[in-house]
Amino acid sequence: MDKQLDLLQGTLDMLILKAVSLGPLHGYGILLRIQQISKDRLEIQQGSLYPALYRLEHQGWIASEWGESENKRKAKYYTLTAAGKGRLQAETDNWNSMADVIRGILGTKPEEV
Amino acid sequence: MTIWNRLRSWLESTLHRSQMEQDMDTELQSHMAAYADDLIRGGVSRAEAVRRARVEFGGIERVKEEAREARGVRLLDELLQDLRHGVRVLEKSPGFAAVAILTLGLGIGATTAIFSVVNAVLLRPLAIEDSSRVVLLQEQWRGSLNDVSVGNYNDIKKLSSSYREISSSNNVSFNLETQGIPERVDGEIVTSSYFLTFGVQPIAGRVFTADEDQPGHAPVVVVSERFWRTSLHADGSVIGKPIRVNGLPTTVVGVMPKTFDPLLSTSNLWVPAAFTPAQLAEHDDHYLAVMARLKAGVEMAKAQSELDVIAQRLQQQYPLDDADRSFRIQPLASALLGDQRLSLRMMLAAVGFLLLIACANIANLQLARSRTRQKEIALRAALGASPNRIVRQLLAENLVLGLAGGMLGVLLAYSAISWIVAHGPAEMPRLDQSRIDASTLAFASVVALLSSFLFGLAPALRSASTRLNEVFKSASGVAGGSRDRVRSLLVVGEVSLALILMVGAGLLIRSALLVSHVDPGFDTSNVIVGRVGLPDAGYHEPAVARQTFEHMLDAADALPGVESAAVVSRAPFAGGGSSNGLLPEGKPVDLANVVNSQLQIISPSYLSTARIPLKAGRDFTPQDTRERSFVAIVNETLARTIWPDETAIGKRFSCCESGPKGRMDPTWHEVVGVVADVRAVGLDRQTQPTFYIPLAQMPPASWDWIGRTMDLVVRTRGGAVPIRELQSTVASVAPEVPIYRLSSMQQKISSTLERSHFDTFLLSIFAATALLLSSVGIYGVLSYMVAQRTRDIGIRMALGASEDRIVWDVLGFGVRLAAIGLAMGLAGALAATRLLSSLLYGVHPTDAITFAVVSLLLLLVALIASYLPARRATRIDPLIALRHD
Repeated sequence: MDKQLDLLQGTLDMLILKAVSLGPLHGYGILLRIQQISKDRLEIQQGSLYPALYRLEHQGWIASEWGESENKRKAKYYTLTAAGKGRLQAETDNWNSMADVIRGILGTKPEEV
Repeated sequence: MTIWNRLRSWLESTLHRSQMEQDMDTELQSHMAAYADDLIRGGVSRAEAVRRARVEFGGIERVKEEAREARGVRLLDELLQDLRHGVRVLEKSPGFAAVAILTLGLGIGATTAIFSVVNAVLLRPLAIEDSSRVVLLQEQWRGSLNDVSVGNYNDIKKLSSSYREISSSNNVSFNLETQGIPERVDGEIVTSSYFLTFGVQPIAGRVFTADEDQPGHAPVVVVSERFWRTSLHADGSVIGKPIRVNGLPTTVVGVMPKTFDPLLSTSNLWVPAAFTPAQLAEHDDHYLAVMARLKAGVEMAKAQSELDVIAQRLQQQYPLDDADRSFRIQPLASALLGDQRLSLRMMLAAVGFLLLIACANIANLQLARSRTRQKEIALRAALGASPNRIVRQLLAENLVLGLAGGMLGVLLAYSAISWIVAHGPAEMPRLDQSRIDASTLAFASVVALLSSFLFGLAPALRSASTRLNEVFKSASGVAGGSRDRVRSLLVVGEVSLALILMVGAGLLIRSALLVSHVDPGFDTSNVIVGRVGLPDAGYHEPAVARQTFEHMLDAADALPGVESAAVVSRAPFAGGGSSNGLLPEGKPVDLANVVNSQLQIISPSYLSTARIPLKAGRDFTPQDTRERSFVAIVNETLARTIWPDETAIGKRFSCCESGPKGRMDPTWHEVVGVVADVRAVGLDRQTQPTFYIPLAQMPPASWDWIGRTMDLVVRTRGGAVPIRELQSTVASVAPEVPIYRLSSMQQKISSTLERSHFDTFLLSIFAATALLLSSVGIYGVLSYMVAQRTRDIGIRMALGASEDRIVWDVLGFGVRLAAIGLAMGLAGALAATRLLSSLLYGVHPTDAITFAVVSLLLLLVALIASYLPARRATRIDPLIALRHD
């Protein structure tokens, strides 16, 4: 399946938290990492990344620090905070149980009802 | 944690706004540059790479806006925007803005001023360490709370274990000579534990040692900072130096800070009590204020039950003095300030009503405006403003009004407070500390905010729920029915609140009028009174003290312009007094038969000088001396109390001193005269049973009861007040002795009424303002109604309705509103005025005349307020009215 998928509503935050949990990244880096892990199957509007980042930072899940990028540009690096770690865990659990339920529902055959 | 984090992040981004914007810019640019780099690396030309980076990033401004919102910065932006818009809208209707701000300023100003007084007098804690632990201990006897005898104080001190410190004080004044002029200074005689009880340190020197509080110790004194600055020239080396107190050189050992006034008596001197063994054994003379600090962990109830046990013990030990006597403690602050509570709360409630009326008026104006603004608001809604945003915007507009009104209010409060401090009753403690301070400002801001929501929310919600199509469809001729109902309800509410205030003010005014017609019982014109206190040193001997006063009288009599002069232990309206128990002859010696009565020691000339009418028997003569049989004159109240159905003349009672055979040996006084009642405490107070005994027969011990102090009463021939002559007359007879509190009898009477006149005056102003504001409310609603119904009225007139008919319709509506408000207000007033009963004299709180007069006045004003719009309605030209749209 090569077709790119649109992001489900509300999942971008979770993906950002996951990406940042693997190591400090700047905004563009987060985008690249998500695309890399998803093997380019997710389409993320570049600009939409930033309001999400600021919201997460505002809520204290991630923290930021100015640094220098690989090609010597000033860039803001984001890291997961302790609170963010807990949040990621909670969102992952929530997502998994939700996915289970949905899969169960969608997998229902007529004779099971 | 995250709430704190959000707040910090919000604060950071709000406070460092430009930094945040710059950072955001840098970050987004760096993102696009990095992406462009990657594209170039993939073989795209630079120009194309930059273009694609930009396009794929999306709308950069939108991203920024969303980012700002994520950080909560937009809320503030919008608020500022709304406030600016509010100011612009109000600038466009200056008339409305002026009326609203003025009304609100008046309400907030009055509320803030009264709050600052309440705050200073009632709410601010006493300036002593942990004031909640300090109690006032009083004796309770026959239902009344009294001062404590030295003996009881001493026994309680020894028997109790609930107090960390216990101390006593009695208020006295001292003759002082600091700069060659004798002056009288108020102070207290206190135990050495007094200062420890309050836990306040002196600013210089020290407080008394226990040694100095022993009889026979060289006299020492602690002075107030106020006295130290005014009378001792703030002399830094004053500690250890002597000043002359009551004629004796007395060493100054300490200076107390100016905030130290634990009993709110503005004392300037404290001298040690140094009770003698004889005083410590005395259980019959009750004059001490006793204060105690509870031990840590001891609660009031526990200390009280300990006192109950002690009281039982003392009742058995001293059956003569302490039978029926128990002790009560209460927190010092409530004991000192309890009297102020009622009238201050009344004022606070009154200004609260006033503020509500003001808010109702503004809400009314806003509702009227919101109708004319419907199209503007509908347009904004059509352009995409959410209802939420519209409500916020309208509230912001009201916030602008609230803030402006609040600022005006604080300005008004500032002048009102200085007026109140200058003209308020002198007897109200701590009144002079009223000022605009942080807590007052906080109060005013909260009031301003709350009131802008109060008057703004209803109109705002109403506007926001406006349906677009209705607005653009509707013709202006049809009035919104429910809107009129809200406005009418507001007016009805205003009227009822105003009526309650008016009834309260009416009752106080009627009471004040009645009091001013009360007969004081003697001729108060052309009478001057001043107090003279002889020091113990040099005047200890009763005969010397008596002769000094007699010489003073002779000298005063001889002054030009003086008709006659007299001395009395406590002149009417001059403050103070001492009471004694009388035992009528023929009744068994039992406390139940003792009649408590006010004692007046007078020179034989007193009754004729004051012109107190003699109702029966004879006046005293110079021949009534201690060598002759003891005589007394009683007032009619006392005669009626003891001998209700008989003549009092010739009857005897025992009092004041014991005979040669000891305590149980009575000293009989024969009643030789009965005089008219005198309202000695205040015109609005009941007359006390009173008896008079001649100066030449007074018990030697009574010189101590009255502190060797007598009031000199002088009746002039109507000429100028010979104040200087009186001062030099007193000084010529008793050097270094001042005459103080010198004023005419009429001034003394007005100062006893000062308090109730002040209450009456303030409440009347509030009531008048309330009446004015609610009549403006009636006027506003009717004018609006007439304007809305221009077309209806025009049609009716075209169809032949008479002018009178139209006038009556409008008037009828106004009067109906007023009448409903009146009925509600009357019900409220009936419930509320009961609280006033202790402030009233001779008027029942539900006085029918007051209620009727006030209701008529209100209806009259409502009629006038309705008449103007009614007149306007008749001037409507049907032709123009029908073209109204």
